[in-house]
Amino acid sequence: MIEDEQLTVDRTINGRSRALLQSVFREDRFFLVLSVFIGIFSGLSVVCFRFAIGWCRLYLLGSGAVLTTSRLLLAPTLAGLVIAALVIHVFPQTRGSGVNQTKAALFIYNGYIPFRTAIGKFITAALAIGSGHSLGPEDPSLQIGASLASVLGRKMNLSRDRMRLIAPVGAAAGLAAAFNAPISAVLFVIEEVIGRWTAGILGSVVLSAVSSVVVMRWFLGSESLFRIPVVQLERPSELIAYCVLGVVGGLASVLFSEGIATLRPRCKALPLWTQYFQPGVAGLLIGIMAVLGAPQVMGAGYEAMDEAMHGRFTWQFMALLAGLKIVATLLSFVSGTPGGMFAPTLFIGAMLGAAVGGAEHVFLPHLNVSPGTYALVGMGVLFAGFLRAPMTSVFMVLEVSGNYSIIVPVILANTVAYLISRGLQPVAIFDLLTRQDGVDLPSMEEQREEGVLHVEDAMQRADGRVVEARETVGSALQLAEKSSADDLLVKLAPNGWGIVAKKDLRRMLAEGMGELDLNSVVSGVRVPYLHPDQALETALRYVDRWAVVPVVNRADLWRLEGVISERDVLERYREFGEG
Amino acid sequence: MTAGRVEELRAYLRQQPAMLALVAGLAVVFFLAVTGLSRAYQAQRESLGSRWFGRGVADLKAGHFDGAVTEFRSALLYSPDDYSYQLNLAEALIGMKRTAEASTYLLTLWERQPDDGLVNLELARIAAQKERTDQAQRYYHNAIYATWPDDAEGKRRDARLELIEFLLQNNARAQAEPELIALAENIGDDAAQQRQVGDLFVRTLDYERAFAFYRLSLRLDRHNQAALAGAGSAAFQLGRYPEARRYLQSAVAGNSDDAESAALLKTTELVLAMDPFQRQISMTERNRIVVEAFATAGERIKGCGALQSLSAAKSGQPSPNESWAKMKPRVTAAGLQRDPDLVESAMDLVFEIEREASVSCGAPVGKDHALLLIAKLHEGN
Repeated sequence: MIEDEQLTVDRTINGRSRALLQSVFREDRFFLVLSVFIGIFSGLSVVCFRFAIGWCRLYLLGSGAVLTTSRLLLAPTLAGLVIAALVIHVFPQTRGSGVNQTKAALFIYNGYIPFRTAIGKFITAALAIGSGHSLGPEDPSLQIGASLASVLGRKMNLSRDRMRLIAPVGAAAGLAAAFNAPISAVLFVIEEVIGRWTAGILGSVVLSAVSSVVVMRWFLGSESLFRIPVVQLERPSELIAYCVLGVVGGLASVLFSEGIATLRPRCKALPLWTQYFQPGVAGLLIGIMAVLGAPQVMGAGYEAMDEAMHGRFTWQFMALLAGLKIVATLLSFVSGTPGGMFAPTLFIGAMLGAAVGGAEHVFLPHLNVSPGTYALVGMGVLFAGFLRAPMTSVFMVLEVSGNYSIIVPVILANTVAYLISRGLQPVAIFDLLTRQDGVDLPSMEEQREEGVLHVEDAMQRADGRVVEARETVGSALQLAEKSSADDLLVKLAPNGWGIVAKKDLRRMLAEGMGELDLNSVVSGVRVPYLHPDQALETALRYVDRWAVVPVVNRADLWRLEGVISERDVLERYREFGEG
Repeated sequence: MTAGRVEELRAYLRQQPAMLALVAGLAVVFFLAVTGLSRAYQAQRESLGSRWFGRGVADLKAGHFDGAVTEFRSALLYSPDDYSYQLNLAEALIGMKRTAEASTYLLTLWERQPDDGLVNLELARIAAQKERTDQAQRYYHNAIYATWPDDAEGKRRDARLELIEFLLQNNARAQAEPELIALAENIGDDAAQQRQVGDLFVRTLDYERAFAFYRLSLRLDRHNQAALAGAGSAAFQLGRYPEARRYLQSAVAGNSDDAESAALLKTTELVLAMDPFQRQISMTERNRIVVEAFATAGERIKGCGALQSLSAAKSGQPSPNESWAKMKPRVTAAGLQRDPDLVESAMDLVFEIEREASVSCGAPVGKDHALLLIAKLHEGN
């Protein structure tokens, strides 16, 4: 008896504690906590990745700023051969863009990214970048973060919805740590990977990005990626000069994208045995460029960007470097060497910007041109034009420089470049890569630009369909008989709507209910209402249950703007589909 | 523990809180591992950075700026924010005359530490090279009032000296003078510095202060040749010829190669020998001097065609040439003995002739120069 009572008490306590734990660890809350851990793991991994790149660079290329010819030629070539063997035999998943693989995890594989991908990307990208291949560490960092997040999510037995989102959460953490820029990382992932905002997604992405940046700063310091003097826009006429930079950047973006669009399929179509040599040959050609006087094109190129900002190079040389970097990055990327295009994009933009600034300084000496400012704006321009992430490009420039004073030129030049690039190259680079790989992932840019139908596009006029609730059934039927519509909308106090069919009114009249007011007949059932600006798909939720749905003014819910029925909605969609 | 309880515990462990605790533990282990890795990585980078920096400093000292730039850049690969690496790189770039690049680095450093004396001084020098006077002055002033790691007073004084030099080179004497006065108030008992200040006062044409500083310098080092020459020159400019003679004699005696002082001494002695208004000379001596001066003026007229061609002035006054000729018969030792007032009128005419001649026929030399200086000395008397 006593044992039974004890057992009952224990069970009650266990039941309560379980309930408490379940309420504390509701999946949405748990997901937020997990996001912090994803950020920590991603931050730590990215720090290790940076160390690995540093060590590869040191042992493969040497410790000085000036490198020997033999190392310049041998390091990228031999590393390329090793990377090719690793990619073909050990880590086949490391080919391609980390952004697209994260999107694929989100939209195709329910958040699954193999852990092997993270390890492969870590090793091969560190070797490639450290040996001088013209690629950047950001995209691999993003993928390492996404892969780690995917592993954690699987171990935690998350629901399918959460699992799908976990890869982008890790991607944001990886990118934030790589760039030391949490806002840009969050924006990029929302803008380019997930494509939508909700409080839950935003909270997780922000938490992971912030925690990874905190970890990264703990180990590598909190300095901005670039340091340039504060510059003031003294005359509005200077904005014209930045517009010119936007045009040049837009055209360069198109050239870069076209290069990838043309060369990548051709390289992939070459016989299989050539894939063992493609990264090596790319490395050799990049080494030759370096030996011939442009070692700046090797690796991510952050040091060269910093030097460009400090006016070390002539504008002609910087223009040349921009061109060579496009070629070097094309070689590295299309040969299948793992690595990202963020840093090369920034490099090309910085060099183009500084070159345009330098040229303007020569030809228009009255303009207050600072190479550092132009280089910084140039980075944003290429980011907007080539990667097609206009919002991210603006915040990225602000974050990597810690300099708010150039916001106006950045916005202007980025917009110009984005519009030119979009006009001349309709398919964004990430979409181009997925299509080349035979995958149909949703294009965030196309989604942004897609025309959205609204309720007002399908609604019909409501002439003669509205009656007051105080009207009797008889008078309402008289009104209904004059109208061609089968249903009347009834204004219900204080601000709702009801509906009554013509046939029901006839039936009620026949049953002797002609003197009853409509309020007593329809007040129990209120019809949902819509607003003209709501998406047409919202109407689909109601039109199958209600013959007509009132479309009312947002400021006055009794003011009817129109009505909408299932037929109207379908008809409008049909017209839209026919173009 | 019953089997049921064990099973329940296992179930708990499989639940999310337990998994989270496990993940937290893993995070701590990972963090510690990365901390160890980070220390090794940073130590290696610091070591490489300081090795390259050491080489750069050696090359900078040896004047091998090209090598120094490469080495400082290599050092900056490992510590991009290191203040002294950047500063030394900027100095090496200045050494290579790549001032535009250097100034960008310096401006970055200036933003980090606007009160760094050396950064301000280098920026001032670059601005001075580019003839941006206002900017140069601002940076020089910053350097003067900035913090310096060692010998702050000396560095500030040197910065002010550079500023004064810059202002004087740009003919901004009015701006240079207050700086010089401020500098003069801050120098200690250093003969060389006091002499240097004296030299600078000479360049601002403030001979009174220059003379005072030369004398201060000589009090500390009475055999300082430069101070002796400077004091003699300043006294000469002030018209204090007896003192000028004394200092210049010492200067020339100490340094026979000092031709400038020797020439000044010669002129000084001529001035002293040809001044009839000195107090401690006899009347006979004075009359002799007047006769000689009058004759010298006559020679000056003969040597100056412009003065000879001057006819009677439009105002009806006789020309200096005519006056001289008219007065000549009376200006003898006996004539002056008879008429003491003639001394003054004769010397007035002499002074007038020398002034006119210096305007019409160029700068006088020898006795003519001495007479002109005597004229200036007694101007207004």
